[in-house]
Amino acid sequence: MSKQKTKEKDANGATRRDFLRKAGTYTAASLSGAAMLLSDPKPAKATANVSWAEHFQKNYRLMTDEEKQEAVERLEKRYSEEFGKKVKVGSEPALEGVLFGYALNIQKCIGCRRCVKACVAENNQSRGEKQQIEWIRVLRMEKGKFSAEDRDVHGYPEDYGIQVGGNAYKPAGVVLEGQHYYEPDQVPEKDAFYLPMQCMQCEKPPCVKVCPVRTTYRDPDGIVVIDYNWCIGCRMCIGACPYWARRFNWGEPDLPAEEMNPDTHYLGNRPRMKGVVEKCTFCVQRTRKGRWTGCVEVCPVGARKLGNLLDPESDVRKVLASKKVFRLRADLNTYPKFFYFMD
Amino acid sequence: MSNFQLFGSIISTCLLGAASIASAAGETVQQDNTCFESRMGLSQVQQREIQPGVMNVKCSPTTGGVLFWGDPFDGTIPMGDMSVEADYSHEEAVVKPREPQIDRNKLLTICSMACHNGEYVPYPENKLARPLKMHKDIVPNSMQLKHGKGAIWCLDCHHAATRTKLIDHYGNEISFNQPQKLCGKCHGQVYRSWRNGIHGKRIGMWQKGGKKRWWTCTECHNPHDVEQGNRNSGFAQLIPEPAPVLPKGMSNADHERGHGEQAH
Ligand code: SF4
Ligand code: SF4
Repeated sequence: MSKQKTKEKDANGATRRDFLRKAGTYTAASLSGAAMLLSDPKPAKATANVSWAEHFQKNYRLMTDEEKQEAVERLEKRYSEEFGKKVKVGSEPALEGVLFGYALNIQKCIGCRRCVKACVAENNQSRGEKQQIEWIRVLRMEKGKFSAEDRDVHGYPEDYGIQVGGNAYKPAGVVLEGQHYYEPDQVPEKDAFYLPMQCMQCEKPPCVKVCPVRTTYRDPDGIVVIDYNWCIGCRMCIGACPYWARRFNWGEPDLPAEEMNPDTHYLGNRPRMKGVVEKCTFCVQRTRKGRWTGCVEVCPVGARKLGNLLDPESDVRKVLASKKVFRLRADLNTYPKFFYFMD
Repeated sequence: MSNFQLFGSIISTCLLGAASIASAAGETVQQDNTCFESRMGLSQVQQREIQPGVMNVKCSPTTGGVLFWGDPFDGTIPMGDMSVEADYSHEEAVVKPREPQIDRNKLLTICSMACHNGEYVPYPENKLARPLKMHKDIVPNSMQLKHGKGAIWCLDCHHAATRTKLIDHYGNEISFNQPQKLCGKCHGQVYRSWRNGIHGKRIGMWQKGGKKRWWTCTECHNPHDVEQGNRNSGFAQLIPEPAPVLPKGMSNADHERGHGEQAH
C-alpha cells in the first residue's frame, strides 16, 4: 500500500529535471535542442535576455492565476525593452462553450499566398533569407495531361497530375506532393488548383501524444498550444504531425522591431526563442477576443471561414451542413478541426 | 467660358478619367502608400495612421495587397435594409461604400450629369445590345459582354436614365453600394450562401452578435468580366506573393516540377 503511494507520487511529482536525468536512456537526438539552448557559446540577444526566472518557471498549464500573471508581466517588460514599444502579452483562457473549427473552400482558393504573408505579419515569425518560418504552406496541384496517344501506351497519363495512373504493367502514377515553390506571373492558373495547409488543431493530436515534457497540449476550446518556455526542442512533435504543421527555430529568430506585432498571447504569437517549436494557433490572441484570424480576414477571395463548432448557426457549421466537405488524412484518426470544402 | 468650351472640358475630363482607370487596372506595384483589398485597382486603400503606432492597413511590400487591418471597420457604413430576412439582422453589419471607388476619377459625378443627361447621349429606346463607342476600357466589346453569355446587356443592370444607379426587376434604383441586391436577382444560390456567411468575405468579429464588415459582390468580382475563361476562376488573376525560401543547400525547385518524369 505505502509502496504504491510512493510510486504514484513519483509519477505525479516528476519534474522536468527528473525527466532530463532519465532521458539519458531515451535518445540523444531528442535532447540536442535543449543542449543547444542551454550551452550555446555565444547566445544572441533574444535568447540571452531570457531571464532565469523564465527558465525555471512552471509549465504554464500548471501555474496558478497569480503565477501566470507574473510570467506574463515579466515577458511584457522584456519584450517592451527589446522591441522598443509597448508589448501586450495576453493570457486569455479558452472561451466557454466554444470549439473552434475552420473551413477552407479549395474551389475558391487562387493560390495567391496572401494568407501565408498575413500570418507572418500577425504572428511574429522569423523572417528573411537566413531563417524564414511560415506556418501556412500553399501547395499547387497540377491537373493531369490527357492525350489519346498516352492512353494507348500507359493507360492513363503518367507524367503529371494527381489523377491516379498506371495499369497492369505500370505503377500507379499518384503524385500527391504538390508544389511548394510555384512562381507563375499570375494566379490562378488554368491547369492547377491550390491546397493551403496549416495546423489542423486535431481533436486527437499526435503531436501532443509524443511531447515528452507535455509543453504542447490541447486547450478546452480545441486549440493545440505550446508553452515555448518548456519546449526542450526535441522536435518529436514535428515528426509526429502528419500535416507538416510545425516549424523549428534552428537559429535566433529574425524579427525586426518595426515589424513586430505588439498584440500577443502567451500561448500564441509572442516572440519565440532559438530552439523551440512553433505552429499555427488559429491566432489565439485574436480568436479568444472574438476577432477572426489573420488568414480568414486577408484571403482576397473569402475562401477561409472560422467559427464555433458547437454553434449550429456558425459559419463552419453551415458549411458542414450544406457543402461537400473532407478532411486530410482522416484515416489517421487525428480528427482535424480543419475542413476543406467545395461549393 | 462658352457653353461649347465647358462641354469640351467635361468630355476631356471623362476621357481622362477613363484613361487613368485603364492604367490603374494594369498597375503592379503599390504607389504613394495605396494598397488594394481584393480587386487590384478597384478596391484601393490609402495607408494612414489611425492611432499612434497603428496603421489602418499593413500592406505587402511585393504585391501591394492588404495584409492586415488595424481597424476592420475603418471607412465603412451600415449595410442598410435588405428586403430578405438575413442572418445579420441581429448583428451589426457594415460595408465599405463602392461609390467612392467607382467615382475616384469623377466618372460617376461628371458623366451622369454631363453625358448621360438624355440630350447629348439620348436615352436608349430599347435594351437591345449595340456596339459602344465609349467605355471600352470597361467593356472592350459590348457585343460579347463577358457576363451572361449574350443573354444580358448594360441596361439589365444599369438604370437607363440615372446612370449613378443600378436597377432591380421593377426598375427601382439600387445603389452601387449594395450590388448584392442586383446580383441576387439571378444568382440566387450564391446570394443565399453569401447571406449565410459562407460565400464571400467578411472581417471583424467572428462571434455571434459581433460586428462584421461584409464584402459586397463587386469588391471581389468584376461584373463586366466575370466569366471564367482561361483563368478558371470568377476572380481576376493576381500576382502571387513570393514562394518560400528554398531549404539550405537547395538551388532550385526543379525536383517538384513535372514530377512524373524523374520521380515516378
Ligand atoms: S495538425 Fe499537426 S501540429 Fe496541429 S494538432 Fe494536428 S498533429 Fe498537432
Ligand atoms: S489567401 Fe486565400 S486565395 Fe490566397 S492562397 Fe491563401 S487561401 Fe488561397
